[in-house]
Amino acid sequence: MKRLLVGLICLVMALGMAGTGQAAETFKLGLMCPVTGKWASEGLDMKNVVSLLVDKANAAGGINGHKIELIIADDAGDPRSAALAAQKLASSEVVAVIGTYGSAVTEASQNIYDESGILQIGTGSTSIRLTEKGLQYFFRTCPRDDAQGIAAAKVITSKGFKNIALVHDNSSYAKGLAEETRDALKGSGVNIVFFDALTPGERDYTASLTKMKAANPDFIFFTGYYPETGMLLRQKKEMGWNVPMMGGDAANHADLVKIAGTSAAEGYFFLSPPLPQDMDTPAAKAFLKDFEAAYKSLPVSVWGVMAGDAFVAIEAAMKAGKFTAEDIAGYLHGAKDLPAITGTMGFDDKGDRVGDFYRVYVVNENGKFVLEPKL
Amino acid sequence: MEFFVQQLLNGLAVGGIYALVALGYTMVYGVLKLINFAHGDLFAVGAYLGLTLLVSCHLAQMLPPFAAVLLVFVLVALMVALIGYLLERVAYRPLRSAGRLSAVVSALGASIFFENALMLIYGARVFVYPDFLRPDFTVTIMGFSIPGMRLLVIVVSIVLMVALQVFMLHTRVGAAIRAVAIDQGAARLMGINVNRIISLVFLIGPGLGGAAGILVGIYYGQIDFLMGWSYGLKAFTAAILGGIGNIPGAMVGGLLLGVVEAMASAYFAVAWKDAVAFFVLILILIVRPTGLLGERTADKL
Repeated sequence: MKRLLVGLICLVMALGMAGTGQAAETFKLGLMCPVTGKWASEGLDMKNVVSLLVDKANAAGGINGHKIELIIADDAGDPRSAALAAQKLASSEVVAVIGTYGSAVTEASQNIYDESGILQIGTGSTSIRLTEKGLQYFFRTCPRDDAQGIAAAKVITSKGFKNIALVHDNSSYAKGLAEETRDALKGSGVNIVFFDALTPGERDYTASLTKMKAANPDFIFFTGYYPETGMLLRQKKEMGWNVPMMGGDAANHADLVKIAGTSAAEGYFFLSPPLPQDMDTPAAKAFLKDFEAAYKSLPVSVWGVMAGDAFVAIEAAMKAGKFTAEDIAGYLHGAKDLPAITGTMGFDDKGDRVGDFYRVYVVNENGKFVLEPKL
Repeated sequence: MEFFVQQLLNGLAVGGIYALVALGYTMVYGVLKLINFAHGDLFAVGAYLGLTLLVSCHLAQMLPPFAAVLLVFVLVALMVALIGYLLERVAYRPLRSAGRLSAVVSALGASIFFENALMLIYGARVFVYPDFLRPDFTVTIMGFSIPGMRLLVIVVSIVLMVALQVFMLHTRVGAAIRAVAIDQGAARLMGINVNRIISLVFLIGPGLGGAAGILVGIYYGQIDFLMGWSYGLKAFTAAILGGIGNIPGAMVGGLLLGVVEAMASAYFAVAWKDAVAFFVLILILIVRPTGLLGERTADKL
């Protein structure tokens, strides 16, 4: 059956290239997303984003002569529902599936799609092991959990810091980020002169700061959350110590500046995925304009936009004349510089997204978070 | 050397707050033999009430900063004292003849009640004291520059502790409190109204705790509804370290705990600060089971 379908599609393709294929073939595309349940707001965004792009492509006469038929299945943010949704989409004979958000939910559907020979592009599932299974048809448009440490190392080296202090708070997230940054900095010539953990939930970090100062770093990277970050900034200023400090995406909270005080927070910067309204590529601006016109609001987070990136990947493959899961997967493995909404996108051999995702936000003199231009 | 002195000052500032909160634990223990686990949360209540008075009641706008802070200190100390008094009437007095374990359970319940009440009233978000209240000056002593607020925290703590000690040793009421601590029955025979003295202890201890709450709020800026638990735990430790039931012991214990913590982060690892501090506590309790100053008067005030 599959072989027959492949043959048929190849035939149609050949006709299309000959310039005679007028009878528009439909391309069945699945979207698995949490339209209900705890992540419904994300799921609704995913649905809106992909529907918008599909409608636009169809209105322009389809892609490479193919109209797109979008079939949506609700995974409810729950692994069991995801298995049912995946079976439903598989029996609808979709070629590719976009989704989904949660890592555990994606994992429950991975094997079903793979066994059915359906291409899957995860959009919000950052768990490392999803792409470590060697699945041929699995891709994702979001970064892996270890991408932030690599991004942090890149920022540190490109800003030219030589002796840095790495501090975490012993939470699995912050400790992981600190260790990944340390690993990513190996061999880069950056010395880690201080590596330690403070106790979260306390008020007074002057003893830790005094000790840090004695190690004489030219830069501090604290990977923990915003309440402790705010206290560190405040007490660092009180000590009269003007060393630059950076944080991870757990520092991205409006209360940070309130806790630290505007003057202490000024110049502090942190890594974070860009907020949808801050995405500054022409493609992103055009997309956000369309989105706002259609739905009278902006996407709540960057993860919904990642579903749009998944569509861009499939669109690019179709434009290159790839219409089967096998061909699309072959095209995407090793693809570079696809014009995704959140920035340029490529995929490595495992199906992980290649390219910058984390951006640097700086606190300005008014205590506002400002996106720094790309490095 | 500069590093050492700097860390010593860091430790003293933290320890001053531990000591202020520890006074509340030790006073109640001295009189009632009860660990008032809700005391840390009364401290948090003080921090929240101070913020409410300063921001929602616009005291900070109406008065110059220094006067506003002073007034808020007095008002909050009074309000938290009243809450402490009510706590004793509602949660502890009915259980006074029921054995110590029941009262401890009641104290834990009161602690949970206060934490959740704060969360329901104010919300689970972190709150921030207005920044301009914090005196922003630096004092230079013998070549060491010390942030003014840090010095103020140490000074305010010591003044409050000394005032309490003078009150206990040199007034008739203080003598009555000491008498009740030694023997309630005999004190009653001497014409002391024991219930009134216990109520008084529940006014003074929480009042000081509330004042410490504002001190933390103004100095560190950030308050949250669970702050009473972490400070309470440290202050309770400080009270034990100094010899529970003993007022100078609570002061010494608090300051010592702060300094040991600072030195542990300075000469060991920051992550191991608490482990080292508690290790020192265990060592001291092995050598002196009744705490540093608790030798003769382990259960007296």
